[in-house]
Amino acid sequence: MAHHHVTSADIAINGDHLDNSKVAKAKNIAMAIAVLGTVFSFYLLFFASNATKGSYAYSWLFAFYFFLTLSIGGCFWTLLHNVSNSGWGTSVRRTFENLGSTYPWMFLFGLPLLCPQVQQYLYEWMNIHRGAHGGDVKEHLHHVDHLLYNKHWFMNLPFWYGRVIFWGVGLSCVIIFLRKLSIAQDTDANPGTKRLFQARFHSTYTLIIFALTITFTGFDFMMALDYKWFSTMWGVYLFAGSALNSMAVIILVCAWLKSQGHLKNVTGPEHFHIMGKLLFAFTTFWAYIAFSQYFLIWYAGITEETSYFLIRNTGNWNIGMIALVFGHFVVPFVILLQAWLKRNPKTLSIMAVYTLCMHALDHYLITIPERGVSLGGTHMSQGDAFAGLGPIQVAISGAFLGDILAFITIGAAFLFFLLRAIGQHSLYPNRDPRILESANLSN
Amino acid sequence: MSTTRKRVYGYLAEFKSASALYKAAEKIRDAGFKKWDCYSPYPIHGLDGAMGMKRSILPWFVFFGGMTGCATAFALAYTTQVVIYPTIVQAKPANIFTIPAFFPIMFELTILFSGFTVLFGLLALIQLPRLNHPLFASRQFHRATDDGFFIAIEARDSKFSPNQTKELLAEIGGANIELVEEEDS
Repeated sequence: MAHHHVTSADIAINGDHLDNSKVAKAKNIAMAIAVLGTVFSFYLLFFASNATKGSYAYSWLFAFYFFLTLSIGGCFWTLLHNVSNSGWGTSVRRTFENLGSTYPWMFLFGLPLLCPQVQQYLYEWMNIHRGAHGGDVKEHLHHVDHLLYNKHWFMNLPFWYGRVIFWGVGLSCVIIFLRKLSIAQDTDANPGTKRLFQARFHSTYTLIIFALTITFTGFDFMMALDYKWFSTMWGVYLFAGSALNSMAVIILVCAWLKSQGHLKNVTGPEHFHIMGKLLFAFTTFWAYIAFSQYFLIWYAGITEETSYFLIRNTGNWNIGMIALVFGHFVVPFVILLQAWLKRNPKTLSIMAVYTLCMHALDHYLITIPERGVSLGGTHMSQGDAFAGLGPIQVAISGAFLGDILAFITIGAAFLFFLLRAIGQHSLYPNRDPRILESANLSN
Repeated sequence: MSTTRKRVYGYLAEFKSASALYKAAEKIRDAGFKKWDCYSPYPIHGLDGAMGMKRSILPWFVFFGGMTGCATAFALAYTTQVVIYPTIVQAKPANIFTIPAFFPIMFELTILFSGFTVLFGLLALIQLPRLNHPLFASRQFHRATDDGFFIAIEARDSKFSPNQTKELLAEIGGANIELVEEEDS
């Protein structure tokens, strides 16, 4: 061991705080973009032409869910750190918590998806349910769609709204509570192990809330785009992407803080090595799950299931899907095998940015190919809102501009809330009983 | 009357704890010795760094072992199911696009061959199994599997000298320093 053994004399007694004036400009710009973008987006979602409203609903869903997966992943790493009684991650745990704490804010961007005006373009099953016009929904479904009749116990509007509210409130409470507990330790004059054990205990059952949230937000927002389609791998698939890319964000935040002279003495190459290993592990896990999903559907050849890949292997979407195989798995797998690369914050950050780009492609291909086939060919009998949407097509030309706008809007908000959380408290839990264990990590 | 000649293997020294062993290892590393080793009843975290050990070449063996497994599985599945006996299931193609069906076996053989190269590559690199080791001649060395922490510096190290090496071991806290001899055959 060449490096100096860290003792309590090396730990900042009152914490390591970010100088908020240094990020004030970035925060203000991000907030301005987010506010302007949100205002304009509300116009596009509710007051523009039918074609714009329809295609922008998909743009918004794509951007909303992309950033939501990053926040959910922050909650996941916090919970996992606590519940696994882990010692290595204490010095980077505050970054997990800060990322997780953006969850309540990011969930607010899903509010437009609770409005029928937006839902009508995304979720066909809701249109069919609403076709009952206040009458007995089950009776109505019995006549128009037997599949929805059988799925009624799960896919009905009151239950859907109830679930969505629970996903928003439940995990928010969990992460707010855990972050508060962690922060209270920073200024405690007599810091003990009480909060450590409390966090560990409360992370056990709340891990279930996390698992339900990542799985069923995926079901309720994404899988429901086509109510005939289902995949038993769906929740795991979204979880794999979520854990992988929130780790990429955590690596970027830690590398940035380190370059600004923070996290001194408490993080080093060993921490980046472990986070790099987790990035590598989840790259492989994602590939395993993504292939399993494809394989099960390809092998069985059931009409209801194959539609997902038929749509995404048609036209130019196919190029994206093949790019995903090599870009999301083969290339990062081979590159991340290198140990020296994972120990260097700079090279690891490059891989983290690359991984996030691939995650954007992944989520683009999850949401957007559904747009052309869902919006096109909807006829007047479904109401005035569907007039002028055109025929069924592989992709709606020009609609990608909306995707970029939504992505930048919600991305700017994500950046704002993340920077805000980072600047609020000490950058590492300076009075945690395990901080020295973590600082002297060797793996 | 014994006719066997003895050859010096090296010095063996005992250290009182894992941390004493760790600190002694750092000093021997800094003294520039190459042919020496630590013996402990259990793995000590970071000892490889303290001994100044280079990264093993084993991962490269495993990488190519895994690649060989992957290629073998593909060749096996492709030859049997596409070339020799095209197997058509549910109107799926019997050509290169049958590849998803081959993935499970490609994955399994990658793992199997990697596992084999780990095991046999490791055994080859650490020269196991072997019937005897010169250190077994030492009575106290048996405690290396119970409660003893030892360092042995071999005589074939270019820095080895009968007096100075012994002094070095004593200086860094070694006890029960013993000159171990092996039987020359």
